[in-house]
Amino acid sequence: MKHPDMNDPKPKKATKRPGESAKPEAFDLWLKRGLHQIYDGVAKEPIPDELLKLIEDDRKK
Amino acid sequence: MTTSFHDQVISILPKLRVQALALTRNRAAAEDLVQDAVCNALSAQATFIPGTNFPAWMHRILRNRFISNLRKRRDTTDIDDVPQSVFATDAAHEDRLALKELGAAMNRLPADQREALVMVVVHGMSYEALAQATGCAVGTAKSRVFRARRQLEAWLLGDTATAKPAQRLTQDLLKARLADATGKTASV
Repeated sequence: MKHPDMNDPKPKKATKRPGESAKPEAFDLWLKRGLHQIYDGVAKEPIPDELLKLIEDDRKK
Repeated sequence: MTTSFHDQVISILPKLRVQALALTRNRAAAEDLVQDAVCNALSAQATFIPGTNFPAWMHRILRNRFISNLRKRRDTTDIDDVPQSVFATDAAHEDRLALKELGAAMNRLPADQREALVMVVVHGMSYEALAQATGCAVGTAKSRVFRARRQLEAWLLGDTATAKPAQRLTQDLLKARLADATGKTASV
């Protein structure tokens, strides 16, 4: 699967502020890890029984 | 073996929950939204053409339902509701602070940007798939992700001099973390 570069669509200008030493790739890496920490737990939670029942009941129709 | 329509619905539920949380910023509202979207999908299953892009079809149903709900009632989301559970991890205190700041910053983003960033970064979706799932042009999808990322960077690594004390602490910590990651000395 193509994994897009988050710095698209335009090349980033060199607009670092004084004292800003972190590379964009480091921020992207940190951002990716942080977002996974925030959202992965939700994806891994058990699916509520009532929702599964709704789907299974419809399957039997 | 062909996967049935209902099996496809079940298998995409985890991703729908993440999309719903990214849109609503609220756990309870996200669960309701997923359930509503599944009901809509089951009602409209005859309109789905087998062999076409099921994830895009399903993500779009959820998105449309979210927009429809917004029109019915004003957004009453709890802005701090999203990531509370993750703050109770055993990560270092500084990391938790930075993560909390990221959660708060995510909640400040426009819903379409937040959704786009999560679907690309967390789900690993391509821009083309994101465009299909959200019913927009590929350029628009790219732009949403780009602007979300740039805005987060500005908020989280922004001007330390003008930041509030709590923000400044997080900015300094994050800059130090990123400088460590790149093998440089943080000048914070």
